[in-house]
Amino acid sequence: MSTVAQYVLSGLAIGGIYALVALGFHIMWSAARAVNFAHGDTLMIGGLLAAYLVASGWPLALACALAILVGGLFGFVLERLAVRPFAHQPNSIGWMLTTIAVGIMVESYATIETQGYALPLPSPGVAGSVQILGAGLYPQELAIPVLALAAMLGLQALQRHTLIGRAMQAVAHNKNAAALMGINVDLVVAFSFSLASLLGAAAGVLIAPVVQASATMGLLPGLKGFAVAIMGGITSAPGVVITGLAYGVIEKFVEGYVSTAAREIVGFSLMIVVLLAFPQGLFGKREVAKV
Amino acid sequence: MSSRGFTRSQLLAATVAFGLLASAAQAEQQPCIGNSAAVTGPAAFSGQAIKMGAQIAIDEINAGGGVLGKKLRLVQYDDAGAPPRGVDNTRRIALADKCIAILGGFHSTVAVAQVEPVHEIGIPYVGVWAANTKAIENGRDPNFMFRVSAKDKWVARFLVDEALKVAKDGKIAFFYENTGWGNGALPDVKAALAARGKELVAAETFNWNDQDMSPQVIRARDAGAEVVIVWSLDREGNQILRAMDKIGYKPSVIGAWGISGNLGELAGPLANGVRVMQTYSFLTPQSDTGKKVLAALAAQYGLKDPASIKAASGIADAYDAVYILADAIKIAGSYDWPKVQKALYEVNRDGLVAPYRPAFLKSDPERNDALLPEHYLLAVWHDGKLIPFKGSPYDK
Amino acid sequence: MSRLYAIGFLALAAVLVAVPLASDNEYELRLFMLFLIYAIIAVGLNVLIGLAGLVSLGQAGLFALGSYTGAITTTRLGFDMVGAGLTAAIVAGLFGALLAYPTVRVRGVYLAVVTIAFGLIVENVAIEWQSLTGGTTGITSIPSPNVFGLRLSGYAYYGVLAVSLFLLVAAAHNLKGSRYGRGLLAVAQSETAARALGLDPTALRTLAFVIASVTAGVAGTYYAFLNSYISPDIFTFTDSIRFLLMVILGGAASTFGPVIGAYILTYLPEYLQEFAVWQKFAYGALLLVVMFVLPRGIMGSLGALRSRLRPAARAIAATDGIDARTTLAREASEQQAELVARDLTVRFGGLTALSEASLRVKPGEVHALIGPNGAGKSTFINTISGFYRPTAGAFELDGIQLTGMASHEIARAGLARTFQNTELFGEMTVLENVMIGGQQRLRYGVLASILRTPAMRREEAHCRQAAIGLLAFVGLEGYAYEEARFLPFGLQRRLEIARALAANPRLLLLDEPAAGLTTQEIDDLEAMIRRVADLGISVLLIEHHVELIMAVADTVTVLDYGQVIASDTPAAVQADPRVIEAYFGTSGATHAPAEVPA
Repeated sequence: MSTVAQYVLSGLAIGGIYALVALGFHIMWSAARAVNFAHGDTLMIGGLLAAYLVASGWPLALACALAILVGGLFGFVLERLAVRPFAHQPNSIGWMLTTIAVGIMVESYATIETQGYALPLPSPGVAGSVQILGAGLYPQELAIPVLALAAMLGLQALQRHTLIGRAMQAVAHNKNAAALMGINVDLVVAFSFSLASLLGAAAGVLIAPVVQASATMGLLPGLKGFAVAIMGGITSAPGVVITGLAYGVIEKFVEGYVSTAAREIVGFSLMIVVLLAFPQGLFGKREVAKV
Repeated sequence: MSSRGFTRSQLLAATVAFGLLASAAQAEQQPCIGNSAAVTGPAAFSGQAIKMGAQIAIDEINAGGGVLGKKLRLVQYDDAGAPPRGVDNTRRIALADKCIAILGGFHSTVAVAQVEPVHEIGIPYVGVWAANTKAIENGRDPNFMFRVSAKDKWVARFLVDEALKVAKDGKIAFFYENTGWGNGALPDVKAALAARGKELVAAETFNWNDQDMSPQVIRARDAGAEVVIVWSLDREGNQILRAMDKIGYKPSVIGAWGISGNLGELAGPLANGVRVMQTYSFLTPQSDTGKKVLAALAAQYGLKDPASIKAASGIADAYDAVYILADAIKIAGSYDWPKVQKALYEVNRDGLVAPYRPAFLKSDPERNDALLPEHYLLAVWHDGKLIPFKGSPYDK
Repeated sequence: MSRLYAIGFLALAAVLVAVPLASDNEYELRLFMLFLIYAIIAVGLNVLIGLAGLVSLGQAGLFALGSYTGAITTTRLGFDMVGAGLTAAIVAGLFGALLAYPTVRVRGVYLAVVTIAFGLIVENVAIEWQSLTGGTTGITSIPSPNVFGLRLSGYAYYGVLAVSLFLLVAAAHNLKGSRYGRGLLAVAQSETAARALGLDPTALRTLAFVIASVTAGVAGTYYAFLNSYISPDIFTFTDSIRFLLMVILGGAASTFGPVIGAYILTYLPEYLQEFAVWQKFAYGALLLVVMFVLPRGIMGSLGALRSRLRPAARAIAATDGIDARTTLAREASEQQAELVARDLTVRFGGLTALSEASLRVKPGEVHALIGPNGAGKSTFINTISGFYRPTAGAFELDGIQLTGMASHEIARAGLARTFQNTELFGEMTVLENVMIGGQQRLRYGVLASILRTPAMRREEAHCRQAAIGLLAFVGLEGYAYEEARFLPFGLQRRLEIARALAANPRLLLLDEPAAGLTTQEIDDLEAMIRRVADLGISVLLIEHHVELIMAVADTVTVLDYGQVIASDTPAAVQADPRVIEAYFGTSGATHAPAEVPA
């Protein structure tokens, strides 16, 4: 029992990271039908910068806030620099490669700075573990899935109750019509990328105390977060969050009952099967092709 | 296929555009020592450490007139931990740069992959980091692979001996990273235990950057392991300790040298009492050579505090390897590869890490390794610092 | 243009011969051989990216499959290089076909993710299946290349690689100029139009995937023999990106682009070593610069520059063609087409778009289908051309049941159509657009395309002449070499008709052909429809423009709310009170509306 509880809770913690990353992909995709393939590096920027600032004497809260802001700025700049010039192209190769290129540069720079070592980010959330149903977790880990859900609800509230949020929905629905209605589409896209990156950097800050901040910390969450977004249906915010949490739990059970080694094989095979059965993802909207 | 197999032709002019590499190949009249190591990627620190150690030694040798009247030079290429790039670099160092010997790098997979080209070409290779047993004990004769570093087979015995001192019931679990280094060590650890009439109660693996190790730790706990032997780097070592902490499992932890970098910083108090095997530490009372190297590290790389040197073993091993090579070249009286290979067996010197008397033994296939188990150090993490186990609060 | 290609191939051959003679040492030669192997992958991948327009980010996985298959069959089963290479080609090809299956349902970024996942699965299986693959340590001591027991020397192996690459580049070039190459480009640019012209997108995409995988598989075997060592680290996501970049940097869809891209990216790391710790950063920066400076790749940019400096002639002499009347003529014995639709019902969720609509297009007539917006006209035409599935009912052409057939099968049965919003292959020339229409009459196979057999060339020449004739028929011979997207709108409509006619249909569906045309153009259209009908081709015309209908239609069928409310001669329909009510909402309207003049 305690083992099952451990897998479920640890899985939710990991899944919460995937969910937060996937939520970022959802926001970007909705606005621009393009994403930032360096989104994983946004996590790294958040986590690593926070660790550096704390190490150089900043108070924890201030360091985290600044790191998240810089992450958001990264998304804003990257959209301008690497995504927008290629957004109008019919295939996705342009922005895929430019964002990958920026990702390589950022990660390489971080590797040079850290020499490949991981850095700790001290947090009261990892000072001691708590026991739930016989499973041990850090409070920090428990916070991750909760915050992922909160972020999703927050996004929905933003979309319902604010002007920019409604503009985001309009752009997601039909970019041209939104432009005709006087919505500044470029602004909405820039806002969306910044928002997604703020979330990404926040996720980085959130997980850094648990996984340590390193140049490669964003690699797998970035990749899996994108897989989760596609699998869950990138057009649906609740869809990607739920899928992310579920994916994390499934991973833990595969690790626990099959083998650690089978994790990626099972996970990615599952994703392919899901896409074959549900081409728009589990919760995604079907886009009817009009002839 | 030897390097002489391809003759130069008159057609060079026709292919100027494609002969770009020629420019790189021509400049090398000065004898060089090559090195393929991870300069980029997650183990970038290792390339830096090897460069520091080797360069300090080369500078000292050159200050004393070099070898055979010429000054030595270090040529370092990045393999980013990828074996094919390591193989390409090996060929580049041997065939294009025509260096005298190759220093090894951090990754065991690369070292294993280099065995083939090293012997095909016949250039001496001296490992300074990667500890995989089979990279050096490869069954070739003559063997061109040498090492001035730890060997997993011996490390396994060393750690198993330590583990059995602690484990009352002899229940030992093994955690190893899913890389050439970790996988290569599994049979070594099993063999070392078998020699003591024991078996592993759990063998758990994990990947780099894995974020949670609770399934592995739960299995080890359920198997009743009293001691966990760890073959990992600091980052994953920290994850193992944290997973243990979360489920309230407190075995003794003993690790190979992968967790001798900044585990104390990452895991904080959780690292206290974790024992680590090392080949060298700058924190012990230093010999004259050690003081000289420390001075050079402080002067050239700004590493003023010995505690801030995270890869002491890598620096020291590279330093010694260069000196051993320089000795061999002097003995051989030539830069010729086979002659240097033979001469390596005749080197006798007191190095930074250990006395090498002799460095290598031709009669014993296990002795293409210069560092012997009796040279290994047991250190322990205490309050963020890695200190010698002997005399530490944990030495009871 | 073909002279430029000849020069290109000569240059490639010269380089391949000269390099081994000029290389300084074995290392340089090996590096060049590595480039040859990468170039093989890139040329194969170009078929997928450049022609089929599909992005694969898992090519390293196929490369790995080939490499491991080659290495395992050699070390375990003692295969020689030929046996190992063939096995690798088969294994990789099978997985390629498997990978093509998702393209039936997902594309774009979704497909990219599927291929990423595939690459990661292969990499992880290679790590975990230790008994077969040697796990992280990989497979060592792969014997040196040998053929039928003969050990190949370094030069001989170089020869094998060089010849392989040269032949592959030639084969890919030939394929591009064949019906398969055109078909792939067409499917990439407008799948809808391609299907309506009888092309089978799934088959074509599978072909592209198989080509890209077989080449990657063979390259993998070559790599295993060259390196004599393989391990999972060779086949990572980063490598997949590099392969993709080779194609993009060199110029997607170009003949020599991938080779140039592969050359640059094989040698680049050698020079980036200068940057020590900064080399990965430099690689990323370079990639970024390339995307901005050369978004169409080196060859693409050169090609664009050339056509700007020396614009090619646009026109073609109509005399080069075969008269359209000859092309479209039918055997006297052949029956003229009759389309019968019985009780077609189409529902989308709760909405009934078409309700038991029946319609008969008599042989050789011009039949107009009219109705207010939302009446179900488009649904009807999309249903009988196979884009929608009817919920109930059936339709047939000359007694051939078409219900349930895929759109490309219906097209092959003799039904061709145009589109309300023109669906041209915009980046192909006007002539090529029409040639794709004639595609389904070509019979030569993949092998004949690659070899450019005389029979294949004859068929091609005939197809081209027929296309020229059709261009003359619609008056577009002056634009033959223009890219279709640059044509004025009115001419695009004409091109669509020519393209549909090239399929030699028995029934031509025209979906609002007059929309957006000027009066003069509508007059031309009217004449063209008459000429088409005179050739014995039945025409089903969907149109709002009443004057045109009155002038050309033999029968008019009126749809309203998904139901057929009238079907008769134009004059009779015009007087039908139900029709008037449908258009104006009042019954017994006596005055003649502007759009339905009395």
